[in-house]
Amino acid sequence: MDRRSVVKGLLLFAGGMAVLPSCVLEEGKASIQLDHLDVSAEQEELLAEIAEIILPATDTPGAKAMGLHLFTLKMLDDCYGAEEQQAFMTGMAAFDELAKEQAGKRFIKCSPEQRQTLVSAVNDGQAPEEVLTFYRILKGETIKGYLNSELVMTTLRVYELVPGRYEAFYPVTAEAQIS
Amino acid sequence: MANLNIESAKERTFDAIVIGSGISGGWAAKELTEKGLKTLVLERGRDVKHNHDYPTTNKMPYEFEHRGQVPLEIREKEPVVSRCYAFREDAMHFFVKDSEHPYVQEKPFDWIRGYQVGGKSLLWARQTQRWSDLDFEGPARDGFAVDWPIRYKDLAPWYSYVEKFAGISGNSDGLAELPDGEFLPPYPLNSVEDYFRQQLKTHYGNRHVISARCAHLSKPNQIHLDQGRAQCQNRTLCQRGCPFGGYFSSNSSTLPWAERTGNLTLRPFSVVESVIYDEKAGKATGVRVVDTNTKEVTEYYARIIFVNASALHTNHILLNSTSSRFPNGLGNDNGLLGKYVAFHNYRARISAEYDGLLQYATDGRNPAGGGYLPRFRNLHKQETDFLRGYAAGFGANRYQVEDRSGFGTDLKEQLLNPTWSNWRVGSHMMGETIPKAESQVSLSKDQKDAWGMPLLSINIGYDDNDEKMVADYLEQMTEMFTKAGFTNIRTTDSKQAPGLDIHEMGGVRMGHDPKTSLLNKYNQLHACKNVFVTDGACMTSTSTQNPSLTYMALTARAADYAVSEMKKGNL
Repeated sequence: MDRRSVVKGLLLFAGGMAVLPSCVLEEGKASIQLDHLDVSAEQEELLAEIAEIILPATDTPGAKAMGLHLFTLKMLDDCYGAEEQQAFMTGMAAFDELAKEQAGKRFIKCSPEQRQTLVSAVNDGQAPEEVLTFYRILKGETIKGYLNSELVMTTLRVYELVPGRYEAFYPVTAEAQIS
Repeated sequence: MANLNIESAKERTFDAIVIGSGISGGWAAKELTEKGLKTLVLERGRDVKHNHDYPTTNKMPYEFEHRGQVPLEIREKEPVVSRCYAFREDAMHFFVKDSEHPYVQEKPFDWIRGYQVGGKSLLWARQTQRWSDLDFEGPARDGFAVDWPIRYKDLAPWYSYVEKFAGISGNSDGLAELPDGEFLPPYPLNSVEDYFRQQLKTHYGNRHVISARCAHLSKPNQIHLDQGRAQCQNRTLCQRGCPFGGYFSSNSSTLPWAERTGNLTLRPFSVVESVIYDEKAGKATGVRVVDTNTKEVTEYYARIIFVNASALHTNHILLNSTSSRFPNGLGNDNGLLGKYVAFHNYRARISAEYDGLLQYATDGRNPAGGGYLPRFRNLHKQETDFLRGYAAGFGANRYQVEDRSGFGTDLKEQLLNPTWSNWRVGSHMMGETIPKAESQVSLSKDQKDAWGMPLLSINIGYDDNDEKMVADYLEQMTEMFTKAGFTNIRTTDSKQAPGLDIHEMGGVRMGHDPKTSLLNKYNQLHACKNVFVTDGACMTSTSTQNPSLTYMALTARAADYAVSEMKKGNL
């Protein structure tokens, strides 16, 4: 039995995401099993904090509590090509550099206001291209993970597994229209 | 020892053998067992029992590790099957992986396969339209392939027969080119699909949009309840296998029905290597089976054999069934076995938007998928610079969309409060392709599969007629969309390889004359009368209709004929 299959046998499932027990984790590495990406615990924390600014906790849970940064890593690891994975990692480092340039410290050391300002600029496209590439992937997967989460699909925007009907002329009001 | 062998041979002897358990094999099993024949159904893949073996059927989207997406490693390893629209995380297990079952592509051909009990009947798109004489008379009128040995009147009662059992939803539209059938209530066109229907009527007169006819129980009859099936619940997750039996599959319908007769023996993991021909008797006596687990070779015997292994595998088996009487494959006296294969041209698509009728959306889901435009080109006479024509799907949808531009609490608010998009309309072509001698499958001379069978080598491509048809479809649909006031019209030619349509047909074609065809009008091999071919391999031409319903009708008709011939002592 190789290490990977042993590790896979020890996976714990938390919030739909496989989280490794600390005893099998390499010191300082991400909390989920990744086959292609080399992500440190620090980088994982950075992703969690950026994702939390993208989709914060309100009266309902936010990205960090929902593990959407881990979902992003899982998707990136399994569904993206090596080039995009590299671009993401490079962009993540560049993002933290940007924080140092603009706020004088690493993103996780930034105040809530500084974080808002930084993400706002990046969200508006005011950042180097490599940062924008990283941010596009993170934001896209965070939204995908959110909309496809158990929380949203069962309580906030209910997905019907068994609709049992088709209404071909369903009246909708003007307020529901896109402008 | 001799006695043991006799006993063993007796246990391996049936009245009938059916090779394959997909949509046509399931029908052969049902018909033959119902008529009292002890029937052995051989399936090369594993067993899939209705409901028991649909592992993903009740999963919510968040229960899929990648929310439906196929991981890159699999897409890179299995490029052919990954191009199929239904090869997603929820149904991957019902598709054959390229790497596990290789074949030779002399030209690019995306061969999409389902090796399991039920075959592709679990995965099909469930569209069901009858052929008319405008289709059966096509080859004779336009001078290609050979004349079909049957006409609509031969098949019409059998269409009715299979429709009543399978359950087909649709509208009686009164169109000569698309005969009405035994319909359950139709899934209605939505407001924009119906608007487009009216627009075509106004601008053209002879172009129609109808409710797509499909094998869904919109309102089950007693015969469907008797099968253990229930009303379709509009999940549109059909490719996972349906716990309600809402759509027709071998697994939910014909196979359990056959099993209940007590006359069915189903043997999964059984690759049929060849049909055994007895020179003295002048007929086939059985089949040679390789067990995919043990690789043990066993012979099974029967008085009649139905070959329903899927269009190309039926060719494969017959080509590999050689004897001194048939050195080039069973029934292949004229050398045409494996030739004149054709398919449906699905390359072109068009999409657009519509800003009218915004007072309507739809609610729930439509398993029929929307509307259908029957063929209108060259219908009654030759009108264009290409032969034949195309049918088209047509659908209109509004989506719940979110403004994703912001971040923070604003973004969260937007995501949880979507609005309706305007209407998005789309259509895809289903073009008839012309069977040609050079479009053929053959046995590889140097490569074999894991069971010792030569690999199938596929040489099928597009021709000039197909190119002209793609151009005409895009031109005509653009015109129709423009006249209907649709905007932002976009056209695409995917240039996808043949095969991805999953409508490959022919190679063992029907015809009047043993010199130019392999099968007679009852799907019997001209030269080996107790072997019947009723899957896609038998098709003389392809027309534009989705083919499965015609396979079902041909199968039921051939089974009826086979049993009556057996009773008369002719088989």
